[in-house]
Formats: sequence, C-alpha cells, structure tokens
Amino acid sequence: MNHLEMFLALSSLSFQIMLCGFVVGRRVYGVLPLFASFVYVVLASTISLSIMNVFFGFNAPPMYYGIWASIFLFATTRGLAIAELCRNGLRKYPGIWALLWRVLTVLSVFLVAHAAINAWGQPNGIAIYWTSFARDFALASLIILAVLFLFLNYYGLALDPVPKMIAIGLSFTCAVDAIGNTILLNSFKGYLFPWFLESQRVLWPSMEALVRRADDIWSSVHLISFMISIVIWCYAFREPLPEQSAGPALLPASIYGEMSPAINAHLATFNERLAELLKP
Amino acid sequence: MNDTYAIILFAVVLCGILLWLLIKGQKSSGKADSSLHPSGIEGLPAAKHYAYFPQIRQALSRADSDYLLKNAPPGVAKRALRERRAIARRFLQGLHEDFSNLARLGRIIAALSPEVSHKQEATRFMLSVNFRFLYVLVWLRLAAGTLPLHQLEILTGLVGRIAARMDEAMTEISALSAGQLAGKINA
Repeated sequence: MNHLEMFLALSSLSFQIMLCGFVVGRRVYGVLPLFASFVYVVLASTISLSIMNVFFGFNAPPMYYGIWASIFLFATTRGLAIAELCRNGLRKYPGIWALLWRVLTVLSVFLVAHAAINAWGQPNGIAIYWTSFARDFALASLIILAVLFLFLNYYGLALDPVPKMIAIGLSFTCAVDAIGNTILLNSFKGYLFPWFLESQRVLWPSMEALVRRADDIWSSVHLISFMISIVIWCYAFREPLPEQSAGPALLPASIYGEMSPAINAHLATFNERLAELLKP
Repeated sequence: MNDTYAIILFAVVLCGILLWLLIKGQKSSGKADSSLHPSGIEGLPAAKHYAYFPQIRQALSRADSDYLLKNAPPGVAKRALRERRAIARRFLQGLHEDFSNLARLGRIIAALSPEVSHKQEATRFMLSVNFRFLYVLVWLRLAAGTLPLHQLEILTGLVGRIAARMDEAMTEISALSAGQLAGKINA
C-alpha cells in the first residue's frame, strides 16, 4: 500500500465509523434494517481487512481472498438494501407494490442469473470471475433502481427525502462500480490476461507492477466514490428521522374494479379514432 | 473493447435516467402528494380543450381558407394559413393533454386501490404508448396539411363525451371518499 492508498483507507474507515454512528444515533435500523446491516457489514469488512493486513501483509493470499469475499458481501448486502428501499418506497400503496414486487422479482432473478452465467463463462481466475459478477450485479442494481423510479414517476408517486438520498448514494456507488469493474475486467481480459495463465508464468515478474497499478487505481476510485456516497447518506441522517406517515386513505377495491376497465375502454376508443384519422 | 464501451455507455445512460427521474420527482413531489389523496381527484382536470372546437373549426374552415387565398395578398394569405395550421397543432396538443389527464386519473385510482389488476395496468400502459405514437403521426399529417377537418371534429366529440362521463365519475369518487371512507375509518 502506498501513502495515498493508506490515506484513502483510513479516511474511508473514518467515514464508515461516522455513518455507523448516524445509523445507530438516528435509529435507522428500526426503519431500514437492511440498509443498516449493509453499513455494519461494510464497516466489519473494512476492520477485518485492516487486521488481516497487519497480520498477513497486503499482498498475502489470505488478504487476496478476504478482499474478494468483502466485495461479494458488499454487493449482496447492497442488493438487499435496494430491495428494502423498493419496499419502503411503496409500502403506502399496497396495490402498486403487489404489482411492482412481482416485476422486480422476475427482473432480479433474470439479472442475477445472467450475471452468474456471464461470470461462469469467463476465463479462469477468481479475479476475472468476481470482477465480472460484481460488474453485472452493479448494473442489475442500477436497473432495479431505475425501474423503481420509473414506476414511481409513472404513478405520480415520490419517495420520502431520506430514502431518496439513500437511493442517490446507492445509485452513485453502483454506477461507479459498474463502470470501474468494466474497465478493470477489460484490462484483465486484455493486456493483463497472461497474469492469469499458468503457461505464461515466465511473464509474471514483468507484469506484477502493471497488475498492482490497475488494482491500486481501481481500489482508489472505489474508495473515493464510496466516501462520496457516505457523505450523501450522512447528510440524509443529519436530522432525526421523521415519523413514518400513515399514507393516503385508500379507495374501496370496487372503485378500481369499475373505473379502470371503463377508463381503459375510453382510452382504447380514443386510440381507434386517432388511428382512423390516419386512414387514407 | 466494443462491449466495454457499450456497458459504460449503458451505465451512464442508466445514471442519467435515474438523475432525471430524481430531479423530476423532486419538482413534482409536492404536486404528486396532494393529488394522491381521494379528495384530490376532484381537482384533476378531465378535459377542457374540446370545448374550443367551434372556434377552431371556424378558424380552419375551407370557406375561410378560400376567402383568404382569393382576397388577401399572397404573402399574407400564406402566413395566415401557416398560422392556422399552428393553431390546429396546438389544439391537438390540448387534446393530448385531455387524454393524459384521463390516463392519469386511471393511474391515481390504481395507486389508491388496495389491489390492482396487472392486466388492466399493462393495457393502460400500452394504450398510452400507442396513443403517443399515433399522436405523432397525426401531428405530422396536420403539419403537412393533409388531415381532413371533419375527422378532427369526430375525435373532439368523443373527447367531450368521455370528459363529461369522467367528470361525473370523479365527483362520485370524491363524494364516496369524503363520506364513506371517513365513515369506514371512524368505524
């Protein structure tokens, strides 16, 4: 680790401790338990990796596997936090939520399966496999968030300020991860590929500096982007969390049963007439 | 390398969409919150532009065009015809607004319902997409001056009838939500 990385790692740890303080102090775990778990897991991973770094050294094999395990935990708990955000955003609208969770579940299963299959087909090497999976998982998370916001926008609904800030932070970290992992994966599968081939062992000494540099650049970018997200979340928690509002009074189910088909029939007639206008 | 660029572009586009939706949501959140209440439905304008059709018909009538072409200087007549087509396009925009309000009413009712039918929601979504597509085509024909006026009149009559029925329905829903819902909550 060079001085810059050491500085970034310590800064990131300080930011994470500060965020954890906010999560505990504002009792975020009571409202968004999965997001709180994500924050705890990230802090626990960082502390574990720091301890491993002291005991084994940064370039030791346990550290290597520890870093990849922490990336997996980070992506998984972030995915769960996004799922919770979707649920929290639409809890006041049970009809729309019943519709959305099915759409999101199908989409999530498809995207995660795609990520796993895509990663499985990669050339050997845990680094390539996990970089590919992390890239696809970040993209999947971005897609899920985009679908959530499209749904909210379509039905004229809005997230509360705190979940909205959390969504902005999650979107930012997902976007940087997706772009950064894509560039890293491209390097791994391109000019750094001999590093992952036993048959090219003779080239390894000359490549080591290049591989370390690629890793260092990416980890620095990841740390900086994650610190920006932490600042956004801390800003969201600067004040005590507002009381959970009860939501609007719902209409009797019969109104939807009567009105929705009638409105759709009118809209369909409207389209038919519009199509007639275009007939020669 | 092409895949790399494609994925980076995709991630950037997704981020842009998210940012746009967040900013849009921020601007309209106050409006959305107030409209997403059963009593807010009554304030939703169902349709209003169809009421201006007699004036539009007068402005776009064949007799008016003939009179202009016969009596006005060529430059003035040309400009007047161009302006009339612009008025017709604005009127069509108004009809689009009426359609959007009707579709929005459907979405508000869905948002305020304890359960919704995915089939009805998918149908409404597809109808809205279809409408936008048809609207662009009609708009282009109107701009080109190849759309017969009487067909626009038929469409306007339809919007007027739908608007009248929707106004009645919204009043009923608002009355129901103000009285029956309050009664249910208090019970």
